[in-house]
Amino acid sequence: MIVKMSKVEIAGLKELLEDTLDLLRDMGLFHIETETMGFIEKAEEEYIETFSLDQKALSKKLLLEDLRLRIDELFSYLPAVPTRKSYIEPEDVVEILRGLVSRHIKYCEGLKNKKELLQKEASELSRYKVFMEAIEPLIGTLEKTEEIDFTGLTIKDPESIPHIRRLLFRLTDGRYELFTNRASDGTLAGVIVTERAFSETLRKALSEERIPEISLPASLEGLAFSERLKWIKDRIEEISKEMSSADDELLKFTMRWRPLYERVREWIDDRLSLMRATARVFETRLCFIIYGWIPAEAVPVLEMKLKERFSGAVTLVEKEMYEEDLERVPVMLKNPPYFEPFELMVRILPLPRYTSFDPTPFIGIFFPIFFGMILGDSGYGMLLLGLSVFLIKRFRSKKTIKDIGKILLVCSIYSVFFGILYGEFFGELGHELFGMETLCVERRTAVIPMLYFALTVGASHVMIGLFLGFIGGLKRRAKKEALARLIDIFLILSIILAVSAFCGIVPERFTTPILSLVLILTPLLLLTGGLLAPLELMKSIGNIISYARIMAIGLTSVLLAFVANRLAGMTGNIIAGAVVAGLLHLLNIILGVFSPAIHSMRLHYVEFFSKFIEPGGRRFEPFKK
Amino acid sequence: MEKVLIAFAAALAIGISALATAWAQSRIGSAGAGALAEKPELSGTVIILVAIPETMVILGFVIATIILTTK
Repeated sequence: MIVKMSKVEIAGLKELLEDTLDLLRDMGLFHIETETMGFIEKAEEEYIETFSLDQKALSKKLLLEDLRLRIDELFSYLPAVPTRKSYIEPEDVVEILRGLVSRHIKYCEGLKNKKELLQKEASELSRYKVFMEAIEPLIGTLEKTEEIDFTGLTIKDPESIPHIRRLLFRLTDGRYELFTNRASDGTLAGVIVTERAFSETLRKALSEERIPEISLPASLEGLAFSERLKWIKDRIEEISKEMSSADDELLKFTMRWRPLYERVREWIDDRLSLMRATARVFETRLCFIIYGWIPAEAVPVLEMKLKERFSGAVTLVEKEMYEEDLERVPVMLKNPPYFEPFELMVRILPLPRYTSFDPTPFIGIFFPIFFGMILGDSGYGMLLLGLSVFLIKRFRSKKTIKDIGKILLVCSIYSVFFGILYGEFFGELGHELFGMETLCVERRTAVIPMLYFALTVGASHVMIGLFLGFIGGLKRRAKKEALARLIDIFLILSIILAVSAFCGIVPERFTTPILSLVLILTPLLLLTGGLLAPLELMKSIGNIISYARIMAIGLTSVLLAFVANRLAGMTGNIIAGAVVAGLLHLLNIILGVFSPAIHSMRLHYVEFFSKFIEPGGRRFEPFKK
Repeated sequence: MEKVLIAFAAALAIGISALATAWAQSRIGSAGAGALAEKPELSGTVIILVAIPETMVILGFVIATIILTTK
């Protein structure tokens, strides 16, 4: 249902604006209108202008925005851990926090930087550790002296070792030693031991040959090789302790201060949203004015609340709704619990206009019926019933899945119902197992009766749509359009009767009056609906024929179930037969969920709604938290 | 011979309309997949758009049924 709206104006003393907005936001049912067209009379225009904040309010807004940004900056340094909720009154502590926040940011930033530096050092030392572990067994307890120099290498390609040796031989006249060993990370680590006099030449040559040299940090200089590894290990351990201590400090800070800052941030957001809302308010010299829309049933409630809180200093006036307003009235859909899940299927459509209809109840009524007509198997229906109950119970907190489950529940009940009428239980298995008989029509053989049935359903559905279009036209006071819809209905009925007379279903003597009626109505249709009206009529007839899919898709479903049972019987083996039948029935169920759902939806969206739903509605967006 | 021609006519009625539907669905499907990559919220609309050309094969099916059952 499209909720009936009221056009209202709320006016009061300027100093009460923030409290009034607060009340409207708490109520969450007021759509603030920024366009004044239709709200302000021509004579009043010169006295009313857009509300602007005074100097004091503006500086308060800037201060709050600044504090909000600083709190966000502080939070960027804090770990994401669950904290307690603070119940302190935020307004009392805002000023204190404004003074503290810079210091807190500096403190947390310092801790974060310290952690980053420690992390960097730890990662460098880990690299050296891998290298040192690889070369330690090669050098052993060899002491560093003034004459001997060690150069560390990482050798990417082991095949380059002979080339390095040749290079070293050339540079040092053979006075060198090269030790290599496989490091724990898989790379080849090497150490060149040579006289100090060759060091510079050697480093330059290695750099030219692009052989990466490992230079040890300055803190390791002066230590013997045997001591270096121990020093690195000790330092890594020390760094880890320092990092966990910094983490502890940050966590302690978070637990202590975050709840308070969060509470204040919420309060700031709350205040800022009110201040921003003032941009949608108007003012005179002394008063503020808020224009907007509210569900008609909520008007007395709001009136009472305003009276209670402001004792008449803020008043509400319900304004007259003009014809041109109907285009701009925001649309709010509200449906009884049964229809509510079906809103899910309406959401993919554009919102209907205020003067149009809410498609939800129509989908809620006809969609499950069409689904049941197409699937029409009590066995499949029962399986889907089980699935829908599972979805509803299992996903209680997930609204979308729960809604899908509820829709499926109604659809499965109709499938069981039509399955009983068609005498189908997993195809003809019901008949073979427990003598289930067809109550109404056997779809597999009665193709033509089913076709007539589907077309009759289509004609009824399309004509309901046209009749609703007629009512919609009257509601919008578009009399010509409404009349065209009515003529459409009579013409379709006449054409159906004419075809029936041609086929001998209706006595032949009716043919002349029916054709005369068609001849009278056609010019009337041209007059009311314009030159394209006959084309629209033909489209409606095409739409009716499109309902033949109810029979066609249903027939494929029943034939697939029949084939599944026949193939199972042909295997001659119970297990193989059960597997074949199970797989084919499973495929049919999957198709049986998607096909009827998509085709029923399509019949609504394309064939039915095009007759009476007017898209282009404006969404009702109430001012709320 | 007459039976063969009737069956052939019915086969043509459903076969050609099925090919037409398939061609239209392939075009809509590929365009829809492109649209979904940019706007996944359009999935409902795209499913409906893909189902729209199926009217052709349904009409073909109706005609084929009428051809086969008319005496």
